[in-house]
Amino acid sequence: MAAEKKHFVCVVCPIGCEVDVLHDGSKIISMEGNKCEKSEEFVSQELIEPMRILTTTVRIQGARWLVIPVRTHKSVPKRLFPRIMKQLRHTELHAPVNMLDAVLRDVAGTGADIIATRTMPRE
Amino acid sequence: MMEVDVAVIGSGPAGLTAAIHAHKSGARQVLLLEREEELGGILKQCIHNGFGLEQFKQDYTGPEYAERLMKELEQTGVQCFLNTLVTDLSSDRVITALSPEHGALEIEAKSIVLAMGCRERTRPSIGIPGTRPAGILTAGVAQRFVNIDGYLPGKRVVILGSGDIGLIMARRLTLEGAKVIGVYEIMDYPGGLKRNVVQCLNDFDIPLYLSHTVTEIKGKERVEGVVISKVDSNLRPLPGSQQLIECDTLLLSVGLIPENELSKKAGIELSAATKGPVTAEIMETSVPGIFTCGNVSTVFDLVDYVAQTGATAGTFAARYASGSLSTDGRSVDIVAGENVRLLFPQRYGFQDDLVLFIRAAEPVEKPVTIEITPPGSKINRLYARPNEMLRVKIPKEKLAEVKQPIMVSIRER
Repeated sequence: MAAEKKHFVCVVCPIGCEVDVLHDGSKIISMEGNKCEKSEEFVSQELIEPMRILTTTVRIQGARWLVIPVRTHKSVPKRLFPRIMKQLRHTELHAPVNMLDAVLRDVAGTGADIIATRTMPRE
Repeated sequence: MMEVDVAVIGSGPAGLTAAIHAHKSGARQVLLLEREEELGGILKQCIHNGFGLEQFKQDYTGPEYAERLMKELEQTGVQCFLNTLVTDLSSDRVITALSPEHGALEIEAKSIVLAMGCRERTRPSIGIPGTRPAGILTAGVAQRFVNIDGYLPGKRVVILGSGDIGLIMARRLTLEGAKVIGVYEIMDYPGGLKRNVVQCLNDFDIPLYLSHTVTEIKGKERVEGVVISKVDSNLRPLPGSQQLIECDTLLLSVGLIPENELSKKAGIELSAATKGPVTAEIMETSVPGIFTCGNVSTVFDLVDYVAQTGATAGTFAARYASGSLSTDGRSVDIVAGENVRLLFPQRYGFQDDLVLFIRAAEPVEKPVTIEITPPGSKINRLYARPNEMLRVKIPKEKLAEVKQPIMVSIRER
C-alpha cells in the first residue's frame, strides 16, 4: 500500500496532541505534532485496530432499577461495538449482582467479559 | 434537636470524600445527608469510564468510583440519612430536613460541608424561540432516563451545546440505536474536554458544528424539528443561514450552575463569576464553620478536582468542629487578571497551601505563563483552554508575607 496521510488526536493524556501521520496502512512512516512518545504507541494501535472499553447497561430483574451499568473488562475492537450491543440487548440479569461480577463471558467472541460496574441487591 | 460535629449535605463525590476526610481528621459524629434513595449523587448515572485517573490511577466508571468511596465510608462509622431533603440552613449552622424515616429534623452542627453539586441550564435560561412540545431535555436528564431508568428518550436527536454531558450522551444514544444528527455549539470552540470530542463524536462519526445554534423549535405535541443557524463573531444568528433539521428530540448541554439555594438561606456570600460561595483555601465560605466543596462551589471538569476540594473541606470542617482551627481572620482576595474568567478559591486566609483552579477566558493554543502576584509566581503551561481548568499550587510559605490582593493572569509566553 502506498503511503497515506492521516490526522489523529491523541487521547492518551488531556493535552490531546493533534498528530499528522504518514503511514503505509498498518505502520507509521513518520509523524509530527506529538509532544511525547506515547502518541506513537497510541497511533500504532489506532492504525491496526482502534480499541476501546465499551460501557453500557443491561436489563436486570429483581432489583430496584430496570437496568444495571456494565462494561467490557478490557478494551475491545471499536468496530465490534454494534455486535456487542446486539448481544447485550438479549441479555437479562437477575439480582443480586456485585460490582465486577462477570455477567457474560467472551462477549461477541471478543475474548472480553462483560462485568457489572455497580452492586445491585435483590429487592 | 440533634447535635453532630460535622454535617455534610449531599453524597456525590464531593460529599462522600468530605465525610471520609472529616472522620479521618478526628470528627467523632459525622452525619451525611442525601436527598435520594442511594449514595453517590450524579456518579450513579455517569456509567462511562475516565473517573479517578489522577486520584486512584485507575480508569473507573462513575458507579465504580462511587462504590469505592462508599466502601471507604462504610469503614468509618459515618451516619448516613437517605431520602432526606434539607429544606433550610441557618448561618448559626442549624439544618432543617425532612425524611420519611426520621420525620422533620433539626440538626445543630459544629461545622457544615456543602456538597449539593450543580444543576443544568435549561431552555428558559438560554431562551430558544418556538413551540413547547415534548422531547426537549437537558443532557443530564436524558442520561438519567437511559442509564438508570432504562428508557431511550428519542430516535432522531439534535444536541445543542457541546458540554461534556452532551458529548457523552451523543455516544450513549448512538450505541443504544438512536440517530444523533449532530452537536451544535454556539462558540467557536467546544465546551467539553477535547478527549470527549474525540472519543464520543469522532469515534462515532457524529458531526460537531461550531458557531451554530438552534434558533427555533418546531412541533406541536412532540418535537418535529429545529431550525439551526450559523452565528457571527458576536454570537448573533446570520440571516439566510437557517436550516430546518427534522428530529424528535432536542438535548441541551448548555452549561451547569452551582446549586446554592441553601447557601443563600444561610446568608453565604456568592461569587458572581462562579455562582458558588466565595471561598477560602480551606474551603470555608463567608459564614464561619460552613465549608463548601465540589460543583456547588464552582463547576469542575474532573471528578478528581471535585474530590480534592471535598478532602480539604472535610479536613478543615473537622478541625473547626473540634475548635483546633486557629484563625486570626486575616485574609486577602484573589482576583482575576488578564484572560481569567474565574478563579476558585477567591480568598486566601494563610492556613494552608493555595491550590488554585483557574478557567481561562479565551483559548490560547500556545505556551502560556500563569502569573500569580503577589508573591510573583510564574507557572508555565503548554496551553490555556476555557474548557480545561488550570490547577496550580502555591506553597503556604511563599504566601506568608502577602498583604495585597493576589492577582492571577494568563499570558502568552
